Amino acid sequence: MPAREVIPKSIALAGDRILVTGSNGFIGSKLIEILLEYGFANLRCFVRPSSHLGRLQKVLGNFDAGRNVELVVGDLLSREDCRKAAAGVSIVYHLAAGMEKSFAGAFMNSALATRNLMDALLECDGLKRFVNVSSFAVYSNLDLKHGDLVDETCPLEDAPQERFDAYGFGKLKQEELVREYGSKHQLPYVIVRPGYVFGPGKTELNGRVGVGTFRFLIQVNGSHFLPLTFVDNCAEAIVLAGFKADIDGEIFNVVDDELLTGRQFLKVYKKKVKPFRSIRMPYFAGYGLCCIWEKYSKWSKGQLPPAFNRRRCAAEWKRTRYSNQKLKDRLGWKPRVPMEKALEKFLAQFESNGNSEALKR
Amino acid sequence: MLRIAIVGCGKVADQHVQAIHRIPGCKIVALCDRELLLAKQLGERFGIAACFCELSKMLEVARPDIVHITTPPQSHCSLAKQCLESGINVYLEKPFTITAQEAESVVELAERRGLKLTVGHNYQFTLEMLEMRRLLKEGFLGGRPSHLESYWSYDLADLRYASAFLSNRAHWVRQLPGQLFHNLISHGIAKLAEFLDEVVEIIATAYQSDHLRSLGLEDVLDELRVLIRDKQGTTAFFCFSTQVKGLNLLRAYGPSGSISANILTGSLIRSPSRSYKSYLTYFIPPLRNASQHFGNARRNIANFLRRRLYQDFGMKELTERFYNSVRLGDKPPISYSEIISTARIMDEIFAQIYPSRTTDDRRRKTGTDHRLEMVREVSAPLLTSDF
Repeated sequence: MPAREVIPKSIALAGDRILVTGSNGFIGSKLIEILLEYGFANLRCFVRPSSHLGRLQKVLGNFDAGRNVELVVGDLLSREDCRKAAAGVSIVYHLAAGMEKSFAGAFMNSALATRNLMDALLECDGLKRFVNVSSFAVYSNLDLKHGDLVDETCPLEDAPQERFDAYGFGKLKQEELVREYGSKHQLPYVIVRPGYVFGPGKTELNGRVGVGTFRFLIQVNGSHFLPLTFVDNCAEAIVLAGFKADIDGEIFNVVDDELLTGRQFLKVYKKKVKPFRSIRMPYFAGYGLCCIWEKYSKWSKGQLPPAFNRRRCAAEWKRTRYSNQKLKDRLGWKPRVPMEKALEKFLAQFESNGNSEALKR
Repeated sequence: MLRIAIVGCGKVADQHVQAIHRIPGCKIVALCDRELLLAKQLGERFGIAACFCELSKMLEVARPDIVHITTPPQSHCSLAKQCLESGINVYLEKPFTITAQEAESVVELAERRGLKLTVGHNYQFTLEMLEMRRLLKEGFLGGRPSHLESYWSYDLADLRYASAFLSNRAHWVRQLPGQLFHNLISHGIAKLAEFLDEVVEIIATAYQSDHLRSLGLEDVLDELRVLIRDKQGTTAFFCFSTQVKGLNLLRAYGPSGSISANILTGSLIRSPSRSYKSYLTYFIPPLRNASQHFGNARRNIANFLRRRLYQDFGMKELTERFYNSVRLGDKPPISYSEIISTARIMDEIFAQIYPSRTTDDRRRKTGTDHRLEMVREVSAPLLTSDF
């Protein structure tokens, strides 16, 4: 069924060419699947030369229209490759991101790559929407109180170096550039900030659940809500952000309904996947240790890097609440998969491959 | 107060900034990158306001005393010369230049202008390497080293680091004459070059690991073995591996014993050539080794408590020594003959393992078949010391 009929107030026409960067990624491949489901077949998938395309090819193989999807191999750090990607597109879903540990690497692959792509898009006519996929990592919870609501108006991290989060830094700078291009060059953008995206294909536990070390997992707090979003639900929100009219310049957080706490998530995970040792630490103790670690790191001039610090502790383990109200009100989004079913699907992947990678992080 | 500037604000620039911040009496006054945003992100994180995208502009406005060049190696030679021509001392990241010919021209210019140069072989200035150098100077080996071994490993398994150049043929690492080796082996080769006289023979062999083959990278080699001999008869073995994990070692053998520095574990083991009666030969040397390992652990713990065991100690030490040589007019911490020798050894290795790449590259640069010239010299080892 054409999207115009499925999505009210859509800016997209049936023949519009849609570019998806990071299309072979965890979220990207699901996004392609949903676009194909909606009947959009004029897709251009931009993938890195190193990408193993198995995930994407599997999705494309499930649709007749998948055979006509255009694959463009390239590097967004190359302006020439960006021009190839941008030519003739109406809607862009920009999911490619820098996952490097170094700040410079994350900056290059998130911010510079985005700048190159936006420059290439400005050289062409006909862009209707640039959907920039960001992350919850851009928020700072440091000054929020326990129980406060994290929504789109919350303060952004102002000291990413102290937070020691290269990924978050890259995303912050990427967003800054997108906003700048929006105001200076009238780039029609929307920013989407997913929370903790989970689902089949992602096996490792997020640091928000716990920190794996010395063969066991330390869970700080445990009663904090995880900003979970199942990959199908997240991809649906991103798709809608590309089509809905009258939302240029808006920001949308993506979290599901019926969120679980860290303790609840870990309990289900251990029960269904594999039992392993874990200890729970109250938030005040975790915060205190992070504070000591941070001070020692500073005093020793980085003999220990500030991997644990107050900013990270607050961002990942403080008991804050999350809202998807704006997503529902403005995009008409509702979760495709309820939380209970989503958990089932997530955990089912371990039954098939039979191993746990819980202590990876 | 020494005024410092950094050209090239990519991944390694962070390490330079952190090392410089540990050194008293200096200040980073400017950053430069062809991509201005990259300079600005570094400046923002470390509180450095002056950011430029043109080197000439930066040199003119910021007037630094020393420039750290941390760009891809293809630009090292021209950027270093531009700084030297402007009367500024230069710290060049490794590899020093692309070819020995370029290295010689940069060194010649620095000497002519009375300026100082160094190269980022920071692993030669770790605590255990400093101790090893002291012991060698004191004559622990009982003479010149008769044999040296240098092992260097690099883990390609974590593709978050390696995918950037493995996946992209246009990446600057893939464009180097020696590809992956060119960017990585100079640390290990320089350790040998420091103790070798003029090299007269080099035999290099390289191949591709199964891991790299599984990634489908047909044209990249990642396992390298090299035999070297100098004109005094000292031999050396160099091993670079992506498959043998956690190997970063220098071992020197001499008439009175051997000494081994392991940079990954921060340890130094001395093995005097001494014989013991009967079964004592099975008891005493292992106990002596155990005692030395214990001593290494104790020393590392003490250094940790004294905040001296940080990751970039070698870089800070090298940088500080270089700054002192600029301040006081002393010799630079790494001799120019060692820099050139390292470059010549690397040239010859790449000529042997990548004959088509290096020949083409040198033809483009010099208009001659330089590789054949080198092979001729090396194949007549005892007749020439000009290599």
